[in-house]
Amino acid sequence: MGLRDRKIALGAALSACAWLAAPCGAQQAAPVTGVVQVIGMSGIKEHANGSLAIDGGNLQFSNSKAKASVAIASLQDIVTGNDSQRALHGTLGTLTMFGPYESGRFLSLFRSKLDTLTIQYVDASGAVHGAIFTMPVGKADALKKQLVALGAHTTIPVVDEKKAPDSKPAAGKEEKP
Amino acid sequence: MKRFCCSIAVALVIFAGLVALMKVNAFAVPPPITKASAIQVLMIQSDELKLPAEFQISLYENLIRQLEKKGGFQHVYREGDAAAAGASDLVVLHSTVRGFKQGSERARQVTTVAGATSIDVHCQFTDKSGTALLDSDIKGKVRFFGANLKATYDFAKKAAKIANVNFSASPAK
Repeated sequence: MGLRDRKIALGAALSACAWLAAPCGAQQAAPVTGVVQVIGMSGIKEHANGSLAIDGGNLQFSNSKAKASVAIASLQDIVTGNDSQRALHGTLGTLTMFGPYESGRFLSLFRSKLDTLTIQYVDASGAVHGAIFTMPVGKADALKKQLVALGAHTTIPVVDEKKAPDSKPAAGKEEKP
Repeated sequence: MKRFCCSIAVALVIFAGLVALMKVNAFAVPPPITKASAIQVLMIQSDELKLPAEFQISLYENLIRQLEKKGGFQHVYREGDAAAAGASDLVVLHSTVRGFKQGSERARQVTTVAGATSIDVHCQFTDKSGTALLDSDIKGKVRFFGANLKATYDFAKKAAKIANVNFSASPAK
């Protein structure tokens, strides 16, 4: 086999790989689990735990009890931020507040970081809605990138933090222009 | 002497009359409050200061929820809702954030006295044509327990109460 034939074979192999890989990119992204819907999604209780997924042009929040979705095209703004919460939260966290020797206060020092995702969207009648989610660290930016790529609007463009680590504001990940 | 006493009495009567008139005038300027069956909430504005997006959305959503729960209105419309145009007796609520201090939940939980979060919002109720009906400054705060966003819930409760007292056709008892 000559050099030319090898090049042709290599080109064909690469083309086949690219063709096979294309459907993988078009597949739906894995849902983000460990999401808390703070407020805003209709039909979902406040502070409900669940998962957030992109499903056929919709942003869908779902848990075992309910499901709510928003059309990605109707998203007018997406803003990410960061926050923190007590490492021991929920009912157990409340019970620790009654611990002896101010142990509840001491435990409040231990906190876990989390990302926030705030969206603003319009429904079919043109009414403006908003929703706030919290999720594990590092998930919000990736989700925002996906949503923007699928046609969602944002007032704050997605910035690659690795390119500009010093420009990160103290209060949040994004700075309004 | 008699004439002097008479003039003093007349002066006193005139003075008392003027005081009475002033009192009547003081009570005779009630704001032209109207009762409405519907209210439209516009998105919270924060032109003067930078308010985090989650606070802006939380203020808006909590306000709508509290008005639906405790406002006493038949309809609560959101900004941009096409159905609001058809409402005859509609009150529009404009809210502008004038002050914001983001505290720390950790500081509150550890020290109890430090780390309070507060939000000052100027609320203006207008009619459909934009005529101001009532202006009010409302403060939402969280001092001891809860996340920072709980200040928005506190504001929403107070705003819904004011709306209920002044504009609702069926005020809460």
